[in-house]
Amino acid sequence: MVGIVLVSHSYELAHGLAALASQVAGDEVRVEPAGGAPDGTLGTTGDAVRDAISRADCGQGVVVLADLGSSVLTVRHLLEEGRGNGHIRLVDAPFVEGAIAAAVMSSAGQVLEDVARAAEEARGASKF
Amino acid sequence: MAQASSEIQVALPATVALHARPAANFVKTAMRFRSRVTVAVNGKLADAKSILAVLALGATGGTVLRLNADGEDAPAALDALSACVAGLTE
Repeated sequence: MVGIVLVSHSYELAHGLAALASQVAGDEVRVEPAGGAPDGTLGTTGDAVRDAISRADCGQGVVVLADLGSSVLTVRHLLEEGRGNGHIRLVDAPFVEGAIAAAVMSSAGQVLEDVARAAEEARGASKF
Repeated sequence: MAQASSEIQVALPATVALHARPAANFVKTAMRFRSRVTVAVNGKLADAKSILAVLALGATGGTVLRLNADGEDAPAALDALSACVAGLTE
């Protein structure tokens, strides 16, 4: 299955969303959080993102969602360093809806391209 | 190519809302088929293969879902979804 990585400035936000996505989509999908700075403050680190990608990757690709601003930059910087050899995909998607859509698509056995597209299409989804 | 559109109505179990895990199970069942499948509730219509669209229906326990499938495997899709809905648990 395609792995999902959730990158946030906040440890709680990344972990809470990972728990929600896992509850909706099922435990078989690897949804890995990367949030907060090592000292417990708000922030993102390349190391945390790299570790989360490694945990999420089971060979069929990884979709990465980031919350805002420098979280996005942290991921982009990491992927430019060469970690992203095409099967790690940063998507431009709403954080919560994108994570849920991606996790469910992955749990249904969809390929990286389709999981990434579902996350990005979440932008157009109404909540009610 | 022969196209078949069929429609059925099926009620959610009284104690199960179409949210979170039940909604995901429903969507994953729909995704096994090639047919276009929609679910209508209380005047709202959703793509049955979109988790966000299905969640946005806000269907509560006991609600009657109107399922429409359009495509070669439409009857099989509706059979599977009907069984899925009847068997949903929280």
